[in-house]
Amino acid sequence: MHHFDDIYPFSAIVGQELMKKALLLNAINPRIGGVLIRGEKGTAKSTAARALAHLLPEREVVDGCIFGCNPADPKNLCDDCQNRIGRLLTTQTRMRVVELPISATEDKVVGSLDLEYALQKGEKKFEPGVLAKANRNILYVDEVNLLNDHIVDVLLDAAAMGVNIIEREGVSYEHPSSFILIGTMNPEEGDLRPQLLDRFGLSVEIQGIADADTRVEVIRRRRAYELKPHEFIAAFRDEEDDLRNRIIRAQELLSSVTISDEMVHMIAQICMDMAVDGHRADIIMMKTAKTIAAFNGRIEVTEDDVREAAELVLSHRMRSQPLSDQQMDKDKIEESIQKSQQQHQQPEQQEEQTEQDQKPQENTTPDGSTTTQFAEGSPFKVNQKPLSQPRRIDSFKRDGSGRRSVTESRDGKYVRSRIPDRLTADIALDATIRAAAPHQKGRVGDLAVKIETSDLREKVRERKMGNTVLFVVDASGSMGAQQRMTAVKGAILSLLIDAYQKRDRVGLVVFRGNSAEVLLPPTSSVELARKCMQNLPVGGKTPLASGLSKGLEVLQREKMINAHTIPRLILISDGKANVSMGSGAPLEDATEMAAAIRDFGISSIVIDTEQSYIAFGLAHKISDDMGAKYLKLEELQADTIAEAVKGIGA
Amino acid sequence: MHHFDDIYPFSAIVGQEQMKKALLLNAINPRIGGVLIKGEKGTAKSTAARALAHLLPEREVVDECIFGCDPKDPKGLCLDCQKKGELKTKITRMRVVELPISATEDKVVGSLDIEHALKKGEKKFEPGILAQAHRNILYVDEVNLLNDHIVDVLLDAAAMGMNFIEREGVSYVHPASFILIGTMNPEEGELRPQLLDRFGLCVDIEGIMDADTRVEVIRRRQQYEEHPEEFLQRWIEPEQELRDRIVRAQKLLPTVSISDEMLHVIAQICIDMGVDGHRADITMMKTASTIAAYQGRTEVVEEDVREAASLVLAHRMRRRPFSEQRMDVQKVDQSIQKTQTGHSHQHSHSHTHSH
Repeated sequence: MHHFDDIYPFSAIVGQELMKKALLLNAINPRIGGVLIRGEKGTAKSTAARALAHLLPEREVVDGCIFGCNPADPKNLCDDCQNRIGRLLTTQTRMRVVELPISATEDKVVGSLDLEYALQKGEKKFEPGVLAKANRNILYVDEVNLLNDHIVDVLLDAAAMGVNIIEREGVSYEHPSSFILIGTMNPEEGDLRPQLLDRFGLSVEIQGIADADTRVEVIRRRRAYELKPHEFIAAFRDEEDDLRNRIIRAQELLSSVTISDEMVHMIAQICMDMAVDGHRADIIMMKTAKTIAAFNGRIEVTEDDVREAAELVLSHRMRSQPLSDQQMDKDKIEESIQKSQQQHQQPEQQEEQTEQDQKPQENTTPDGSTTTQFAEGSPFKVNQKPLSQPRRIDSFKRDGSGRRSVTESRDGKYVRSRIPDRLTADIALDATIRAAAPHQKGRVGDLAVKIETSDLREKVRERKMGNTVLFVVDASGSMGAQQRMTAVKGAILSLLIDAYQKRDRVGLVVFRGNSAEVLLPPTSSVELARKCMQNLPVGGKTPLASGLSKGLEVLQREKMINAHTIPRLILISDGKANVSMGSGAPLEDATEMAAAIRDFGISSIVIDTEQSYIAFGLAHKISDDMGAKYLKLEELQADTIAEAVKGIGA
Repeated sequence: MHHFDDIYPFSAIVGQEQMKKALLLNAINPRIGGVLIKGEKGTAKSTAARALAHLLPEREVVDECIFGCDPKDPKGLCLDCQKKGELKTKITRMRVVELPISATEDKVVGSLDIEHALKKGEKKFEPGILAQAHRNILYVDEVNLLNDHIVDVLLDAAAMGMNFIEREGVSYVHPASFILIGTMNPEEGELRPQLLDRFGLCVDIEGIMDADTRVEVIRRRQQYEEHPEEFLQRWIEPEQELRDRIVRAQKLLPTVSISDEMLHVIAQICIDMGVDGHRADITMMKTASTIAAYQGRTEVVEEDVREAASLVLAHRMRRRPFSEQRMDVQKVDQSIQKTQTGHSHQHSHSHTHSH
């Protein structure tokens, strides 16, 4: 694409070696299957992905074929090329980066009826979409985790088969669509569905550079680039050429790279020990190791190649536990390597229970009070019942997976169109015109396109639906007693995992001392919620009313922004309010707020953290006032254990 | 735009110096990447953002190009301009394009031109707000109330300065590089961190606590509302002075140099503050250079970096529970001192880069 001529050169990117390596390996060997770049903001993720376009190698394609069919692969030719088999002209073109914007609608992704052709000729013809352009190229999705669920489904379909099958708007068509998927994402913005995650051959996690001199170099190069882009690019031309030549040499070498039985065993052992799903990891690791060898100018895969490949292949395949901070464990890979070297066939017991530091840390806050940090209690599976009792089921429809749903109102994101079953104001004009186009010859009227009622199509919109779960957490001094907070953190973490699986939005309000604070406004990033919770200080008085009031305020605002959300409030407290909001008594204030929450129609749960042997039952009272479901902290866990015993666990 | 003609003049806004500075710096150097103005109700946030339109400098654009392409940047031209042989150019002022929070996605990214399709039976791309915003200011009032999927689209375009359209029957790509200016009242909800990071600078403002100054605010407002024409007349000169100063700073900017020592100070501040990624460093460098140019200097001094730090870091600090999200000025000073002692050890002489 012309616009990329001016792009920051790949070889000028400072540091981030792993990311650059992963991209280069894909340029050498497209069969590795793409790369997912995960990392914090401002770490050259997008810059690198787009800069790769310049380094991509040339390959042979059928001349004039929109899909860029491979003449050497007669089985995977498009219909057009198949008809012309034996008479195919070929040409060399460079692989390109095809961009899939997150605002894309379905018709442009899979392809649709060619509107102009239909209007002019009155005949149906297929107009290729992004999936057609992506064939044998790189399909690049910036902020891939923000992609619409429906579009993700379409992508996965094509990626799985290497073919895009279209049955829509009266067009039936099928064409090859095999592409390298490159995506970037900031995990803070929400996670990726596991099936999509698995489609990426490699994944790298990147972060900002911590070394001052290197950071200065980053600033300096950016400055030079912006002041004089052409000179800057010219200065890196030699390095870019070297890199491109190295890719070409590696490609030539790749077919002669061999891998010993020993190394293949090592790969299998690593994958077994890491307990990855299926066999895709093994196969990709083998391909990656071979490509690394070729990149290093060798024709034999070494242990180091396997080690490097393992890191790239496994990091996104091991996150079986959502929210587990489990970085890929290099030590564990080392162990597997040694194991396979020693030809140990007996599986070893794995007893390295990491000792969690349970000792709380004491800190003094600016306001003089002492706060204490407690460790996270270990998560458990949450009893599903308390969380899944929507009060007014009639107002919404929620699909089982709890992801985004189709909405009836006009404020969602337009993803596709359909024939309306009754009169609609939300007409999808593009689809309507496409529907009318083939019939123009027989119709009369003033406009170039004559539209009849039967042509009308309406927009199908998607938007995020589901719960907004707001945790209102008591962080007063009384919560510090007897490791109470540790258990509470365990409980919140468990509920967060539950929310994650349902794709709920979560928020966190904490109250202690004299006020309540929104630690985390409702977000779809459960990971962010967890980070917030880790640094939760405890200490001071209990302004329960302020906490409830803040909670109500946040949920009311959520409801205003997104009318379809189902607000839920989870209060975790012992109910021992001792700070009032205004002049009233602390408990009365809290009771009043509790009633206001009930009146707003928020379904809530109260998790009582009070120790049973000195029970005041205050939380129970608040719970009644809120019309909430009441649970004791212990019950939250006990129920689940009981359920697990019965074998019903979620 | 006609309704900006009788807008309250920028130079007549009382106080709020940091906000005005942040806006002016963006007018001088669009690459700073915009500003987020956070503050309570009634603190002249929107007034200032809209008033900036009058001070914006003129620049050369391709005549009759909806995107206002830059004729001097042949590679950044839109598809239409690329096809044109010789480009006719004209001088226009940068403008403020508003993105209403009720905007729908098709209006923002652009869509199929329905009228053209119906009348002519041809497909044509109808540009959206992102197209108008190219090389201009994109202004979002109450940016924290923007719909999630509109934010996604904004992020996508802001990331690379391009808008890719694959929707409603049209495929199109056009340049969309804009200065993002947003205002928000934090009481109404927070902004997603990813979008937060896209704003180059951020200022927190609050009502003025000095009685005399408050009186002055009321007095000017009254004069403006009673006799707008007279009032505007009175501020023509200060406005012109400010505009001249911006133009002078713009001319000076390419000659401003920044020493290695100052770059190290910037990097050290960002490391100590624990910001994500490298965007803060780069923005701080640009901001410090622009401040120097605004002050009529060609060399970035420590004071420029300090001022830039307070504008760049406020919204990029990692959030700690129950702590004010204020940037800690003392901590910045510590970082500066640290590099100074460290620097004199490492480098016996400091060399400067000038461009």
